[in-house]
Amino acid sequence: MTTIRRFSCNDLLRFASVNLDHLTETFNMSFYMTYLARWPDYFHVADGPGNKVMGYIMGKVEGQGESWHGHVTAVTVATEYRRQQLAKKLMNLLEEISDKIDKAYFVDLFVRASNTPAIKMYEKVWFFEFFLYLDISCWLIIPSL
Amino acid sequence: MASKFGLAGGIPERRVRPIWDAIDSRQFKNALKHSTSLLAKCPNSPYALALKSLILERMGKSDEALSVCLNAKDLLYKNDSLLMDDLTLSTLQIVFQRLDRLDLATGCYEYACSKFPSNLDLMMGLFNCYVREYSFVKQQQTAIKMYKLVGEERFLLWAVCSIQLQVFCGNGGEKLAMLAEGLLKKHVASHSLHEPEALIVYISILEQQARYGDALEILSGKLGSLLIIEVDKLRIQGKLLARSGDYATGADIYEKILELCPDDWECFLHYLGCLLEDGSSWSNGVHNDPINPQKSVDCKVSQLPDEVFHSRISTSLAFVKKLQADTSDDFIRCPYLAILEIERRKKLHGKGNDDDIVEALMLYFLKFGHLASFSSDVEAFLQVLTPDKKMEFLAKLMKTLDSPATVPTKALGQSITIFKIQELTGNLYKLPVLELESCAVQMVKMYCKSLPLSKDLDPQESMHGEELLSMVCNVLVQLFWRTRHLGYFIEAIMVLEFGLTIRRYIWQYKILLLHLYSHLGVISLAYEWYKSLDMKNILMETVSHHILPQMLVSPLWGDLNNLLKDYLKFMDDHFRESADLTFLAYRHRNYSKVIEFVQFKERLQRSNQYLVARVETSVLQLKQKADNIEEEEDVLKNLNSGVHFVELSNEIGSKTLTFNEDFHSRPWWTPTTEKNYLLGPFEGLSYCPKENLTKEREENVRRVVEKKSLLPRMIYLSIHSASASLKESVEENGSKSGSKISSELKFLLEHHAKMLGYSLSDAVEVVMGVSSGVKSFEAFGSDEIDWINFAVFLNAWNLNSHEPLQPDRDQCGRGIWHVVDTLLVKYISEKIKSMESLVCSPRVDLPILVQLVTEPLAWHGLVIQSCVRSSLPSGKKKKKGGSMDQHSSLVLNGVRDSIQSLCDILKEVAKWIRGQIDRPEDESVENILSSLRKKEQDEGPGRVFHVLESLIPSINEAEHGGRICQELKTWSALDVARKIVTGDSTLLSQFLNICESKIKSFQALKQQISSDIKCVLLNVFPLISRHFVPALGAAYDLELLPYLSATERVEWIVQALHRWTRSLP
Repeated sequence: MTTIRRFSCNDLLRFASVNLDHLTETFNMSFYMTYLARWPDYFHVADGPGNKVMGYIMGKVEGQGESWHGHVTAVTVATEYRRQQLAKKLMNLLEEISDKIDKAYFVDLFVRASNTPAIKMYEKVWFFEFFLYLDISCWLIIPSL
Repeated sequence: MASKFGLAGGIPERRVRPIWDAIDSRQFKNALKHSTSLLAKCPNSPYALALKSLILERMGKSDEALSVCLNAKDLLYKNDSLLMDDLTLSTLQIVFQRLDRLDLATGCYEYACSKFPSNLDLMMGLFNCYVREYSFVKQQQTAIKMYKLVGEERFLLWAVCSIQLQVFCGNGGEKLAMLAEGLLKKHVASHSLHEPEALIVYISILEQQARYGDALEILSGKLGSLLIIEVDKLRIQGKLLARSGDYATGADIYEKILELCPDDWECFLHYLGCLLEDGSSWSNGVHNDPINPQKSVDCKVSQLPDEVFHSRISTSLAFVKKLQADTSDDFIRCPYLAILEIERRKKLHGKGNDDDIVEALMLYFLKFGHLASFSSDVEAFLQVLTPDKKMEFLAKLMKTLDSPATVPTKALGQSITIFKIQELTGNLYKLPVLELESCAVQMVKMYCKSLPLSKDLDPQESMHGEELLSMVCNVLVQLFWRTRHLGYFIEAIMVLEFGLTIRRYIWQYKILLLHLYSHLGVISLAYEWYKSLDMKNILMETVSHHILPQMLVSPLWGDLNNLLKDYLKFMDDHFRESADLTFLAYRHRNYSKVIEFVQFKERLQRSNQYLVARVETSVLQLKQKADNIEEEEDVLKNLNSGVHFVELSNEIGSKTLTFNEDFHSRPWWTPTTEKNYLLGPFEGLSYCPKENLTKEREENVRRVVEKKSLLPRMIYLSIHSASASLKESVEENGSKSGSKISSELKFLLEHHAKMLGYSLSDAVEVVMGVSSGVKSFEAFGSDEIDWINFAVFLNAWNLNSHEPLQPDRDQCGRGIWHVVDTLLVKYISEKIKSMESLVCSPRVDLPILVQLVTEPLAWHGLVIQSCVRSSLPSGKKKKKGGSMDQHSSLVLNGVRDSIQSLCDILKEVAKWIRGQIDRPEDESVENILSSLRKKEQDEGPGRVFHVLESLIPSINEAEHGGRICQELKTWSALDVARKIVTGDSTLLSQFLNICESKIKSFQALKQQISSDIKCVLLNVFPLISRHFVPALGAAYDLELLPYLSATERVEWIVQALHRWTRSLP
C-alpha cells in the first residue's frame, strides 16, 4: 500500500523510523533542502496506511550532452516495510521521471561496496551496463527506459 | 566568484585571483598578505576592501572585519563614479550576513538599486536581501519592479510567492490572493505560462479562494499539458472536484488513478470519500498536524439515504474486486485492505457488522499475514471491534497455526503477526503471570528456532524474527510492573543485549535498552546506547526525546552539555541558512518549495524542544558554576541577568508551540516524555496509542518553560538581595537598588507561588508547615524541587525585605535560613534512605536527589556565598549604626549554621555514594545474575533467559552459519552484569564529584567566616571595641591573628573575651 508523492519538508520530521537504520545516512538540512529546491521531482516519499513513512528516494538530474542523466542519491525503506519491493517501485519512478520529464539518457547511483544487501537488491532490479567497482563504492549505471 | 570582461569589482582579475584561491583553500593569512598588497595598489577600491573584510571575518576578527566593511560601504556611497557591481555588493553582503548585520547588507543593495534602477543583477541581490530578512512586502515590490523591467514569468512568480507568504506567514489578508490571481491572469492572457510549478501556484491560489471550477478549467485547458506525469494531474483534478462538491466526477477520476496505481491507499480513501459524498479527507481538519496525522481516516457518518449508500458501497466493492483481479503483483495490498475500509464505513453507517470485519481481517491475514507491516496496516480496523470480536478474531488467527504456511519464513511471519495482534488487542496482558511468562518463553523459543533462517543473510540485513525479542522485552517489563520483581527487568535487558550480540545494528533493541537502563537509574549506559544510534541533524529534533529529559536531571553534565550544544547548533544553523535555501528555490523556479521552506523554518522556530533546550542550557551553566559566585555572575552576565528569560516566561502562554518529536519508537511503558507507567501501580495497560498526545503535552511544556525560565533571574536577584542585606554601609543609592531588587524578587516569588497553585502567603505557610513537620512532604506533590527552590528564593528575598514573612510571627531579621536548611536536609536524607542498592530496585529517586543537590541546594549555596562575600571587611568605611550590624550578625549566624548543615548533609550523600561505589563488584554482579538463575520449570524471572542460555551449546556452523556462531561466542551474561555495575559506578562517581566540589566550596566558606571572626565579633557585640578588650586590640595591632589557624584564632578571641568579661565589675 503505497502512496508515492513528492517529499516535503515536514516529511523530514516523520522519517525517523526509516533513518534510524544504520545504513541510512541523515544528511544536514542544506543537503536535503538543496535537493528539494533544485530537483523536487526526484525526491519522493512512500506513505503506508496510518500515514506511516515506508521509505523514500532522493535524486537529481545532471551531466552534459550525452551524459545527461538521473542520479539516485539515496533510496531507503523502513524495516517494517522491507521485502515488499518498495525500493524497486521508487527506483522505477525515478527512472520514469528522468526519462519523461528531463529526457535523461540513463540513471546511475553510488553504493558502498560493503553494502552487500543493497548491491544484491540492485542486481535483482536491473541489468547493468556497467558495474564499476571503486575503492570504497560501486558505481552502478542503469539504462533508462 | 565570477567576473566579466576580466574585471572583478573593477580590478583586473589576475590581481584578485590569488586572493580567491587562498580563501578557497582556507589559507587566510596568505590571503590577507595578498589583500594588503592589492590595497596598496588600489587603496580606494571597495571590492579590495570587501575582500579584506571577508578574510578578516574568516579569521575570526569580527570587529576589524566590520570596520573594513563599513569603510568599503562608505566608499561606495561617497564616490558616484565608482562601479557599483554585484560582485562587490555580494561580497559585502556575505560579510555583513556573517556578522549578523543583514540591515547593512540590505542598505547597500537599496542604495545601489536607487542609483542604478534598471540593473537586474542588483535588483536580484536586493530581492535576496529581503528574502533573508523575511520582508515579504518588500520582496513583492522588488519582484514586481523586476517583472516590469524585463517581463519574465519567473519574476512575476517571485512576486506571487511573496504575496502568498504574506497570507500564510505574515499579516496579509485573504484579499491579497485576489491580487496575486489578477497578476497571474493578466500574464497568462498575454504570455501564457511555461513552468509546471507556475501552474501549480496558480491553481493553489484559485483553490485558496475556493474557485475550484476556474482551477479545473485551467487544468483541463492548454496549461494542463505542463504537468507531464498524468497521475499528478489526475490527483489535482480529483481533489478540486471533491472540494467543489462534484463527487461523482471526482470518483471517476480517482478510479482512473487507482487503475494506474492500484496500491495507492490515500487515493482509495479519496475515492471512497467521493462515492459516499464525504469531504472529510480533504478538509483542513485532517491535516492539522502534518507530522502526527491520525491513523484512521477521519470520516463523517454518511448522510446518504440507505439505498444510495448500499448502491455506492456495491460500486466500490465491485471496483475493488476488479482491481484485485487485474493485479498480478503479490505485494499490492491496497485492493485487499480496501475491503476492510469498506466494511468499516458500513459499520459507521450502522449497516455493517463485526462479523464481516473479522472475516475481512482473516482474508487479509491469509494473504498478507506474514508481512511485518500487517499489524500496523490493520491497527485502525481492530479499534472498531468490540472486545469479544477481537477475541474471536484472535481465536481464528490461532487456529491458522494448526496448518502453518509451507515456506518457513512465511510461517514465522504469520506467527509473529499473531503475537503482535495479541499485543495490540491487549489480550496478552490479561493473561495470568504464569501464562504471560510462558508466552515470553514461547516467543524466545521461536526466536531461537528461527535463527537458522538467517544464516546466509548479510550481517547488515535485518534477520528473520528480530521483532520477537522486542516483544519478549515488552512482556518481561509488563511482568516486572505486575510483580515488582526486578529479575524480570534484568531479564529484559539480557534478552536485548543478547540480540545485539548476534547483530549489533538493531535500533529497535537499542531504544528499548536505552529506556530500560534509564528506568533502572543507569543513565550512563542509556546514553551509551543513545550515542550508538548516531543521532544527528534533523533526527535531533525528532528523536532526542528518548534521552534528553533523563539527561536533564542526571549528573552527566559534560554529556548533557554536548547534547544540548549539538542540538542548538543544528537548529541555529538551519535558521541561519534557511533563507539562502529559500532563495535557491526561487532561483530554480520551484515556487511551492519557497512557501514550504519558510513555513518549515517557522515550525522549527516554534519547536517546544528548542525552547526547552535554550532554557535548560542556561540552567545547566548556572548549575555548573554554582560553587563559585564570581563564575556564576559571569554566566548571569552573559544571560543578561536573566531578563530575556523572564520575558520568555511571560510570553510563553501566548506562543504557538510545535511538537515535532516522533514518539512512535517509544516503548509502551513510557509513551511520552512525561509518562512512565512503571513509576505508578499496575494499571492493566500494555498498549498506548501515541496519537493525540500533543494537547496534553502542550500544557505541561508551557508550565515547565514558564517556571524554568524564571530561574536565572531569581538566582540573580537572590544573590543581590543577600548582598544588599549585608552591605557594610547603607547608602541612599544602595538602599534604593536594594528595595528595587526586593520588590522584583517578591513579584517573581508571587508568580512562582501562583504557578504552584498558591498565593504567596499560602505558599509560605506550606513551606513553613513542611519544614516544621506540621505538614508532610506530600504537600509538595510532584513539584518538590520547585517548592524547595521557592523556599530558597523566599529566604533570599526575606534577607533584604522589611516585610515580615508571616505578619503574626517575628523572624527578628533571621530570615528563614532554618526553614530552608531543614527542608533540604530532611528531604535529602529521606531520599538517601529510600534508595536501595541498584540490584534491589530501579533507582527512581536518584534523579530527584541529583536535582536537590544541583538545584535548590546549589542556589542556596549561592545565597550563602553572597552573604559571606558581603560580610567581608571591605576597608575603611565605618559602620553607621548598631541596628544594621545586629542584622548582619544574625544573618551571618544563619549562614554559619546553614553551611554546617549543608556540609553535613552533602557528606551524608557522598557517604552513601561511596558505599554504593565501593561495594565489591563481584558481589553486585553476582546479585544481578542470581535473579536470573532459574530452571525452566520454575516460576518467576529467569525462564526466558534460560532458553537463551541453553541455545549457546547447541549452536553450530552448519545450522546457524559461521557469522551467528562467531558472534554468539562473544556472548557473556556476566559481561552485561559487569557493564551494569560499572555503568552505575561511572554515574555515581560523577555525582560524587559534584557533591565533593560543593563540600569543598562550603568548607572554604566556613574557613573564610572563621578567619574573619574579628568582623563577626565586632558585629555581634557592637559595643565591644579594642578599647574595652585591650588584649584583642593588641593582638590585632600586632597582626598576630593572621598567623594563627582559624580554630586557634577563634579560641584565642574567645579566651580574650572571657578575660574581659571576668574583669567587668
